[in-house]
Amino acid sequence: MEQHSADIKRRRLMQAAGALAGVAAVGGWSPARAQAGGRVVLGTWGGDYSKLLAKNIDTPLMVPKKYEVVHDIGGDPERRAKMRAEARLPRGTDDLQGLSAAQMYEMNEAGLCLPIDYAKIPNSKYLLPQMKYPYGIGHIYSGKVILYNPKLIATPPTSFADSLDPRHGAKLGIIDIQYQFTMMAAALASGGSMTNYEPGKARLMACRKAGAKILPTNEAMAQALQNEDVGICIMWKARAVQWQKAGAKVETVAPKEGIPLYISGFVIPKNAPNKDGAHFWLNEMLEPAAQEAFAEDMGYNPSVTDAKIPPETEKRIGFSAEERKRLIDLDYGYLAKNDAALKEWWDKTFKG
Amino acid sequence: MVAAAAPAAGERRWTAAAALAPASLLVAIGIVLPIVILFRYSLNQFTPTKMMVDAFTLENYAKFLTDPFYVAVLVRTIRVAAVCTAICLVLAFPMAYCLARTRSRFKNLLLLAVILPLFVGNAVRAAGWMVLFGNRGFVNALLMAIGIVREPLQLMYTEFAVIVGVIAVNLPFVVLTLQAVLEGIEPAIEEAALGLGADPWRTFRHVVLPLAMPGVIAGTILSFILAMNAYATPVLLGGPTFQMMGPTVYNQFAGLSNWPFGAAMAFILMTATLVLTLASHWLAQARYRRATVEAVVVAGK
Repeated sequence: MEQHSADIKRRRLMQAAGALAGVAAVGGWSPARAQAGGRVVLGTWGGDYSKLLAKNIDTPLMVPKKYEVVHDIGGDPERRAKMRAEARLPRGTDDLQGLSAAQMYEMNEAGLCLPIDYAKIPNSKYLLPQMKYPYGIGHIYSGKVILYNPKLIATPPTSFADSLDPRHGAKLGIIDIQYQFTMMAAALASGGSMTNYEPGKARLMACRKAGAKILPTNEAMAQALQNEDVGICIMWKARAVQWQKAGAKVETVAPKEGIPLYISGFVIPKNAPNKDGAHFWLNEMLEPAAQEAFAEDMGYNPSVTDAKIPPETEKRIGFSAEERKRLIDLDYGYLAKNDAALKEWWDKTFKG
Repeated sequence: MVAAAAPAAGERRWTAAAALAPASLLVAIGIVLPIVILFRYSLNQFTPTKMMVDAFTLENYAKFLTDPFYVAVLVRTIRVAAVCTAICLVLAFPMAYCLARTRSRFKNLLLLAVILPLFVGNAVRAAGWMVLFGNRGFVNALLMAIGIVREPLQLMYTEFAVIVGVIAVNLPFVVLTLQAVLEGIEPAIEEAALGLGADPWRTFRHVVLPLAMPGVIAGTILSFILAMNAYATPVLLGGPTFQMMGPTVYNQFAGLSNWPFGAAMAFILMTATLVLTLASHWLAQARYRRATVEAVVVAGK
C-alpha cells in the first residue's frame, strides 16, 4: 500500500513536471485556464491574430466548456518545419496548426494532416465550399486587390496589368514574402493562369529594371505607403482595410483579371495529442459570433454563411456581387509542385 | 614520498575528468550530434512534395559550388565579414588602449558603456539603425536640413547599412578582447621604447602591436565568425535584395523546406568560416613570431 502510494506520488510529480515542461515548450498561453474538458494546443501566428483567437474563440467559447487552450506561437515556416520534424513521433506537440490554404495543401501532400471528421463539426454545414478541405478548414478569407495612393498615381488602376506596370517606376512596391501572389498576379496580367506563372516573369523583370521597390514584409509596405515612398502595390483587401484605418491614404481596386483568394485556416496534425479537442475547437471557430468578431476586428471575411456581418462592415471588407464572381481560388497542386522553383527564380533572378 | 604523491595526482586528474564530464557530454549532445545529423541530411535528396528522400549524394554541395548565385552570396558574406572585422579592429584598438591605460576613477563606467550594448539583442539594435537609416529617418532628415542632399539617400537595404549594423554588434566583443590583453602589457615597456628614442608610431608598431597580437588574433576570430554567421542584421538592414549566407540558409530550411540543400549550405558556411579563421590565425601567428624574433634581434644589437 505504501509502495503504491509512493508510486502515485512519484507519478504525480512526473506528470506535474511534464505539464510544466509542456507549458514551457510552447510560446504563449491564452487566458483560458486548465479545465476538465482537456487541453488544446493551437499552433498559430502571434500578434493580433493570436490575441483575437483568444478573445473571440478560446475565452468565450472554449473555457465555458471546460477546455484549456494553449497557443504555440510562431511564424508558419517554423511551425511547418516543426510539423515535419515531429512527423515520426507518435505524439506531437500541437493539436491544430494555423496555415494558409496553400500551406495546408502542402502539409497534407507531405502526409502530415489528419483527415477532418466533419461529423464532429456540426457548424461545418454552413461552410463555404471553397473553405472545406478533406484535410483542413478555412477560418477567414480575403482577396488580393490593388492598393494605390490617388495623390501619387493619377490614373486609377483597374487591373493587375495596370498595377504591375514598369511605368510606375519606383512608385511600385512589391512585398518579398508575397512572392507567390505577386508572380501569380503578374502571370494573370500577362496571359498566364493559375497553373502557369511563366508569362508573368518578363513583366516582373521589366518592373524591377524600372526601379520597383522590393520591401521585405507587409509591415514595411504599410510604412512605405504611409510615408508615400510607394504609391501602388497589391495586397489582401483585409490588410488594406487595416492600413486605411491606420491612416494610409490608399484606395482599393478589385482587379479585372480576377481576385485571387487568400484563405487562412487550420489543420490537425496526424499525431495531435487531443484530436477530439481539436475538432471541438474547429467547430467553435465556425460559430457565427466568432466569425463576426473576426470580420469586425481583422477585416477578413467569414468562411461560413450564417455569420451576420453589419452592412457597413460588409461594404468595407467584402466584395460586391460582381466582384464575388471574379474571386478565383489558387491551384494548390501547381503551387506545391513548383514553389521551390518559383522561389529560386524570385531570389536568384528577380531579386539577384 | 614520490610513490605516495603519484596516486594523489592521479586522483586529482580523475576528479577533474569527472568534473568536466557533464559539460563535455552536454557539448557532445548539444553541438556534435546536431552537426552529425545535419551532415547526414546534406547528403539526402530534396523533392518538393516529400521534402527529403534518404540518399547518399553530393549533389547539394555540387549545386551550391557550381551556381554563380550561391557562390556570389558566399563571397559577399566573406567580404562583409572581412570589412567589418578590419574596421572593428581599427576602431577597437584605440578604445581598448585608452580603457587599459586610463587611471580615471570612471574606468568602470567606461567599461560598462562598452558592455552595455551587449545587453540589447541584435534585432533591437538593428531596429534602432532602421529608425536612423530610413528615408525619413534621422540621418536623412539631418542631411536634408543642413542642405547636403535634396532627396533622401537610400541607406536602408544596402551593404553600407549591413556593415554599420554588424560593426555595432561586434565592436564591444573586439574592444573587450583587446582591452584584456593590453591590460597585461606593462606600460614600462612602452616607456622604455619611448625613452630609447622611438617615436609613438614606432613604439606602437614594434612594441605594443606585437605584444597585443594574441588579443588582435582573438578579436579577429571572434568578429569574423560573428559576421560570417550574422542573421538579424542582414535581414533587417540588408532587406530582400542584399543576401548573405545566414538568412539564405534559414530560407532554405524554413521557407522552402529544402533541408538537404539548407544543410549543405550550412556545412559550406561552417567550412568556409573555419578555413578562413584558421588561415588568418596562422598568418597572424607567423607574423607575430617574426615580429618577436625581430624584436629580440634588435634588442641583442
